[in-house]
Amino acid sequence: MGVLKFSVPEIFFGRESLKYSSICARRLGAEKIFFVTDPGLEQSGWIDVIFEILEEKNLGWVHYSNVSSNPRDWQIQEGADLYREEGCDVVIALGGGSPMDAAKGIALVASNGGRVQDYEGANRIKRPLPPMIFMPSTAGSGSDISQFAIVTDVERHVKMSIISRTLVPNISIIDPILLTTKPRELIISSAIDAFSHAVESYLSPIAFPVTEIHSLKAMELIMKYLPRALETGSLDDLEQLSIAGTSAAMAFSNAGLGVDHALAHSLGGMLDVVHGLIHPVLLPHVMRYNMTVCQDKIADIGRIVLGRSLGSAEATAQAGIEKLEAYFDSLKVTTRLRSIVPDQVNLSQICEMAIQDSCVLSNPRAVTVGDMVGICEAAW
Amino acid sequence: MKNKTTTLEDIIGLEHTKLGFFGELKNRNAELRDSNLELGRRQREIQAILDGITDVMAVVSFNFTLISVNHVFGEVFSQKDPRGDFCYRVFRERETPCPDCPMVIARETNQVCRKLHIYSLGGKNHQFEITASPIRWSNGRGYRFLLLMRDVTREKEYQARCYHAEKMATIGVLAAGVAHEINNPLTAVNGFAKGLQRRLPRLEACLKEGRASAELMADFHEYLETILSEGERCRDIVQELLTFSPRKKVVFAPVDLRKLVLEVLKLLRYQLNRRTSRLICLELDEAVPPIMGVGSELKQVLLNLIFNSLDAIREKGTITIRTCRTDSWVVLSIMDTGCGIPAEHLDKLYDPFFTTKPVGQGTGIGLSTCYNIIRQHQGKIEVDSVENLGATFHVKLPLPSMVKHE
Repeated sequence: MGVLKFSVPEIFFGRESLKYSSICARRLGAEKIFFVTDPGLEQSGWIDVIFEILEEKNLGWVHYSNVSSNPRDWQIQEGADLYREEGCDVVIALGGGSPMDAAKGIALVASNGGRVQDYEGANRIKRPLPPMIFMPSTAGSGSDISQFAIVTDVERHVKMSIISRTLVPNISIIDPILLTTKPRELIISSAIDAFSHAVESYLSPIAFPVTEIHSLKAMELIMKYLPRALETGSLDDLEQLSIAGTSAAMAFSNAGLGVDHALAHSLGGMLDVVHGLIHPVLLPHVMRYNMTVCQDKIADIGRIVLGRSLGSAEATAQAGIEKLEAYFDSLKVTTRLRSIVPDQVNLSQICEMAIQDSCVLSNPRAVTVGDMVGICEAAW
Repeated sequence: MKNKTTTLEDIIGLEHTKLGFFGELKNRNAELRDSNLELGRRQREIQAILDGITDVMAVVSFNFTLISVNHVFGEVFSQKDPRGDFCYRVFRERETPCPDCPMVIARETNQVCRKLHIYSLGGKNHQFEITASPIRWSNGRGYRFLLLMRDVTREKEYQARCYHAEKMATIGVLAAGVAHEINNPLTAVNGFAKGLQRRLPRLEACLKEGRASAELMADFHEYLETILSEGERCRDIVQELLTFSPRKKVVFAPVDLRKLVLEVLKLLRYQLNRRTSRLICLELDEAVPPIMGVGSELKQVLLNLIFNSLDAIREKGTITIRTCRTDSWVVLSIMDTGCGIPAEHLDKLYDPFFTTKPVGQGTGIGLSTCYNIIRQHQGKIEVDSVENLGATFHVKLPLPSMVKHE
């Protein structure tokens, strides 16, 4: 790899940074905002906070919250139609990965026309998108930073990846206060999602120091602060997880992911499994599979997980993976594939789907459907 | 993946960057600029077409309010900016819509309506042909009217003149035909009357002496005199009528109008007594060039006009005979301060046999003869008259250089 690239949105980070959302929107030329959330957020009370902030600047808005986890193609279409009917000009999303990915899809279809399927793959977007301001409410998905949008094609049962620098939001406002209302399970799954982003982007063949430093920092922060945050629930600890999520996102948006995410997308598309639940199951096995080609890097991860080095790189790497599995277990999250995938599901079918996923491209070790089935069986 | 499979290079996307609106705006700006220029060009083109229209143009709303007018409006009407005013007030100084409004008819029939209206402009009546066309929305429903107003006063005048000339020509042919037909029997009547007159002494010789014979002879003498004099009168009328007919080729010679006037007045010497001859003033411009014509015919015209004026002034008033030249005419004017000509007679003035004199005193041929003579000289005869203040006849004869050679 010769020339590489690192691109991120403008990032606001800090407590109560939410209030800048309306100023940013104004600066971007907003008069009527297309505001995307998911139904879960409607009960949290944060929406009303945002509405007040928008009202203060005399901004109009249209609220769209018909977004499920793993957003569907028809939800994008419905949102884009609404956007056009209402004559909106700036897209704001508040929430986790689903509403943010949905917001990207809506902004894309509203400005470029056609169906969201038309843009599946890399660099197919030809015209600019309306300005996007994203406020992540979880510290995991990284959609507020990344150039990816993942949308489920309902007919094909596939999670489509849309990749384009144009999908990088204009502004990401990361306010850790949003995390204070999150339930324990969501904090865990978000942190593990972020951790898997950090691991896979670190191992990627197109990782380079600018991304690697973010991957390593994210892992370090999660290992250190997730247990504390779960224990104390303090804003200080949650804030560190927020930084970790953002760093991991900056890394993976530029360096890409790997087989763990390829399989996660495939399972999510076929079975509608919650994304964050899949990584504790698959990540250690994917790391083991990749060990042969990037033992030293996995040893770097091991050092962070273990907090020290063992005699050899191999030993550190192995011990790191084992420690990680033990840690996942201690968090009481599912660690066996059989707990989330029904018996009758054809694993090879899932792997055939996964091999098509663009995440496979940035996996350090070449992979076949058979290899993937092997990983799944190991995780069963 | 649809067309080509994604590669790692695609994810790095070195050749791709977040798309901004600058390029789009630039293109859109250029498009808008171009279309703006094009619209401006079209606008000027349409404006040039509209400015080329010489009729008054006005756009009027359904409630008779003037929305806009073209530049011709200012040239025809005195009002500065009529927009917002009612059309009936601006055009006809009325306080209510005109009863025969072409716009109302156009609205009712949903068709273009043409009407002739008379407007008073600067104290003179002008005839305007008004065309009202409903301006339609794309749904076909009219919402305003386009009024085109053309001043047709002069056209109408020309039309009337043309009609008159045609009438005169027809009557001329008719009169000349009649004159020819009457000429032969008249010659016979006159000839045989003269023959009878010559035979009167022989007739007398055959009669017995006596009172009864003398009376009979006196009757014969008197009746034959009457037949002969009336026959001669008929012959004169017939001769004059014959001038109406397309004449044989005559030779035009230079005629000095000043000399002509003086000669005519010499001829009249015996008819005018001392007092009446002083009523005639002469304003003869010596610089007037000779015109080409037939001197005897022009004399006849002048005599006719002077006699008419003498009748009009009835021995109190003046007659002015004036010659002058304009760009293309030599004008001979006979102006009197007499009774003038009633307006209703003006269009019948040159009709043969039209006369206001009592029966037996005028034949009504004089002016129509003048008309024909002047027409044959490619000239015009015109009259200005104010009743009770006098009348002026202008005989316009073309300058020799302007004569059309047939």
